[in-house]
Amino acid sequence: MSELEFLSTDRTRTGGGFEPVFRSPLADALAAAGPDVRDLSALGKVEVRGDVEGFDGLASAERIPLTPGRTLFLCAPEETARLREALADPSRTVVDVTGALAGLELRGERLLRRLTDLDLDGLPAVGAVARVTTIVLRTGEEFRLFFPQEYARSMAEVVLDAAAGL
Amino acid sequence: MRLPPRPQERIDRSRELTFFFEGEPRHGFPGDTVGSALFASGRRVFSRSFKYHRPRGLLCCSGQCPNCLMQVDGVPNVRVCTMPLREGARVRGQNVLGSLDRDVMSVVDKIGGPFTPVGFYYRTMIRPRRAWPLYERFLRNVAGLGKIDRGAGRTRRFDTEHRRVEVLVIGGGRAGIEAARAAAARGEQVVLVDEGLGPGERAAGGSFEVIAPARALGIYEGGLVPVDAGQVLIRFRARRIVVATGAIEQPLVFPGNDLVGVMLPGAVRRLTDEWSLRPGSRAVVIGADERALSVVAELRSAGTEIARVVDLRAESPRRIAAEGKKGRLASVLVDGEGLDCDLLVMSGGRQPAYSLLAQAGARIEYDAGRGVFVPIELPASVEAVGAVAGELPSGATPAATYEGGGKARGKCFVCVCEDVTTKDVRRAIAEGFDSIELAKRYTTVTMGPCQGRLCQLPSVRLYARENGTDEAAIGRTTARPPWAPVSLGLLAGRGHEPARRTSIHERHVQLGARMMWTGAWRRVHSYGDPAGEVRAVHEAVGAIDVSTLGKILVSGPDAAAFLERLYPNRFGDLRPGRIRYSVLGTDAGRIMDDGTIARLDDDRFYVTTTSTGADVVSEWLEWWNAVWGMGVEVVNLTGALAAVNVAGPRARELLGRLTDLDVSNESFSYLDAKQAHVAGVPCLLLRIGFVGELGYELHCSSPYGEYLWSTLLERGADLGLRPFGLEAQRVLRLEKQHILVGQDTDSESNALEAGMPWVVKFDKDEFVGKWALEHVRERGLRERLVGFEMTGWTVPPEGGQIVVDGRPAGRVTSARWSGELRRAIGLAWVPAALAEEDAELAIRVDGRLEQARVRLRPFLDPDGERLRS
Repeated sequence: MSELEFLSTDRTRTGGGFEPVFRSPLADALAAAGPDVRDLSALGKVEVRGDVEGFDGLASAERIPLTPGRTLFLCAPEETARLREALADPSRTVVDVTGALAGLELRGERLLRRLTDLDLDGLPAVGAVARVTTIVLRTGEEFRLFFPQEYARSMAEVVLDAAAGL
Repeated sequence: MRLPPRPQERIDRSRELTFFFEGEPRHGFPGDTVGSALFASGRRVFSRSFKYHRPRGLLCCSGQCPNCLMQVDGVPNVRVCTMPLREGARVRGQNVLGSLDRDVMSVVDKIGGPFTPVGFYYRTMIRPRRAWPLYERFLRNVAGLGKIDRGAGRTRRFDTEHRRVEVLVIGGGRAGIEAARAAAARGEQVVLVDEGLGPGERAAGGSFEVIAPARALGIYEGGLVPVDAGQVLIRFRARRIVVATGAIEQPLVFPGNDLVGVMLPGAVRRLTDEWSLRPGSRAVVIGADERALSVVAELRSAGTEIARVVDLRAESPRRIAAEGKKGRLASVLVDGEGLDCDLLVMSGGRQPAYSLLAQAGARIEYDAGRGVFVPIELPASVEAVGAVAGELPSGATPAATYEGGGKARGKCFVCVCEDVTTKDVRRAIAEGFDSIELAKRYTTVTMGPCQGRLCQLPSVRLYARENGTDEAAIGRTTARPPWAPVSLGLLAGRGHEPARRTSIHERHVQLGARMMWTGAWRRVHSYGDPAGEVRAVHEAVGAIDVSTLGKILVSGPDAAAFLERLYPNRFGDLRPGRIRYSVLGTDAGRIMDDGTIARLDDDRFYVTTTSTGADVVSEWLEWWNAVWGMGVEVVNLTGALAAVNVAGPRARELLGRLTDLDVSNESFSYLDAKQAHVAGVPCLLLRIGFVGELGYELHCSSPYGEYLWSTLLERGADLGLRPFGLEAQRVLRLEKQHILVGQDTDSESNALEAGMPWVVKFDKDEFVGKWALEHVRERGLRERLVGFEMTGWTVPPEGGQIVVDGRPAGRVTSARWSGELRRAIGLAWVPAALAEEDAELAIRVDGRLEQARVRLRPFLDPDGERLRS
């Protein structure tokens, strides 16, 4: 029982009459959203506690430092297993948080200003977005939010409402 | 009537806007405010005063005074003098019984004076005390400002926006624009906010952003400046704040100083220059500085005849009074000389608008030479520029009040917002309110819509004179935010409450579940038939969404030692693949949470907590991990995993259909933990029994929760599977006397008195709270949590009293009707002496005493045969 399979989203088996369905926590909430809002929940997300300074196992994975001892890696869904394996090391705790975090991509600084008091020129950062603790990343006018999946509908409602008020 | 086009006018005469005043169409131009358009249409009475219902007209015409408060498009208390005119706007007067021109309540002004001195409601309407609600309703109806339409609901949308800037300039006058320009030229990012219509072309060419109309409401620590921009509250965080709020013209205090037609020079200047209106046909001008007196030229150019100019720097009249007819100015008396006029322009000099600076921590002192309060010693990162910094040309200091003399006996107002006269202030001083802070609270001077802009300085001057001292000794009242009235809707914003939902939430909604809040979680109360749901679990199989359970992974070489040291129960000897229950205690031995702990392998434990305790327990574990410095990682997986509890005599049969795992009782026993694929989804399976029947908790990655739930319901349908909610779960666990932390325990409860001595291992070297529990053991148990069943049919209320010898001696914590037992059952805290099987309890229900018997063992399946079957 070395790997905790039940934590991962990519260990399901199809067969015997079963066909597991991955369902994004934002699936219902974003049904009516416009093209400026994108669901990133399916992205592979792996949290590592411990040193990742010298890690160069998967070049395509994006590395987001959360605290000095904690790092979040983002990758394409199909690369998650490889990323977990590459990171595995007795000195680190590696947790697949793909199912734990919902992801949302938004456009426009003004919209973000209505959602958070984080310094948008000082990203990435972790702070309250719509009162939910969120990891916020920025590329130009595009923002990516990663937050606990159980707040997905709540967050989507606030985001769509704020966008409607602009 | 408009004057011919003037060079500085703001209006666009090429287009006309139509709006409605009291339902009648009126006209104005783009560039008008509602106030200027009404003035152009001939209206002079704009409001009725707060208490006496005296007619009031434009006084400052710059959004400071209360005289033009009206209802616009249903919104009360709008200062129409600064509200830009919109096509189709519907404007009404407020605080009147009748109309603005004929207000029945103005009788208070005529005859109510002697009965309504300041603070009269503290003295004259207090008996009989029972009648106060009636008096209060009456007073609220006759006094005050506009009324909110309670039935309207949310008619306007308010948003909150967060912004960071290097430099925030407050005030769009000359000094503010210069400061903004200079900062922008240095390459700084600058935003200028102006409470008026903005600097317009004067700011042209400056590379800075202008937001207008927008009022800064205060300056808080950390450079936080909330700005009221109408529908949006902008919360600025500024590295540097430049206050350029200017100075405010102060009214003179003399009898009749509130008559319609008495204006401040700024109002005259705006009416003539910006909207090309003639403020009056014949005017008297009384001023203490050049700026006030220079208005004479503007009046002449507008065709107003000047009856007399009183320059307070050159002459010191002792008596000034204004007299009117039906509230409108008719003549002015200066030292006995009567002057017919319909306009009196008056000013007692300008007072720096220092409130924001004072809030930020600046020291404010009275400058006797100039007769005004000025800011000194500004806090770091706050600057003052222009008039607010005290850069004012010197003028004369006017008298505190001017007596009317002769027949002039009109009311003499210190505060027009709250209708406070010099007589009221004198009376308050005579009653002993000699401190300005106390007098403010008693007289309410400075507490109205102007927030002291027009009344702070005149009232300080009056206090000084009446107390025989000087203004510096009187001082000023504390400046607090908000500096300007702000609607509560703007402060509240959108008001979203974050809610946590499980990944199965939508399925529950589809099944018609009744949802309820448990902490921040939305959970299923029932699917409409709690009793039927209980029956399904006892007789067939049920499924409940328990994704909200706290789930924490504790891993590392010291994991076992860590839990051993933290929990009162023993975990060092727990074999991998096995589960054990424990409560979690505080260092004072009290129960903070409970749950099961499964050992996954040598170094990894899977800790579950109550739904509302997950975050607290996770932090508690991390805190002790940091304190002890043990080799342990604590990972909170609560939201990462969905969980479903499948329970009932046919649960095994259902599970067998979905997994290759050997689910026989021999290989998957009670309190075993295993990992396996269920319906193709990797799960952690925990065989535990909170609801008392054979049961399995299935934990899987959240995105598959919905699929797993749907598959269970589909494949279990022929077995009689029913989904069940919290209500059914509460009955089921009560039949087993399983406690709910927080429901059956409180912050004083410990495991010994809660009837769980078996979870406390006193032979361990150490665990959190051990000394406290040892103390409880030594002093003996005082009360006990026990089960009870009612002798009759009544279900006692939760929180109901246990009565011993006529006195309350305990309380019911849980009670339900059990259909399975056909009895009302519950849990209660009772004196330790009553904690014996069959002991009789008296429980107060609706004033009567009902009988019950103590039951120390589970009501149902006391030996746990169903659980282990």
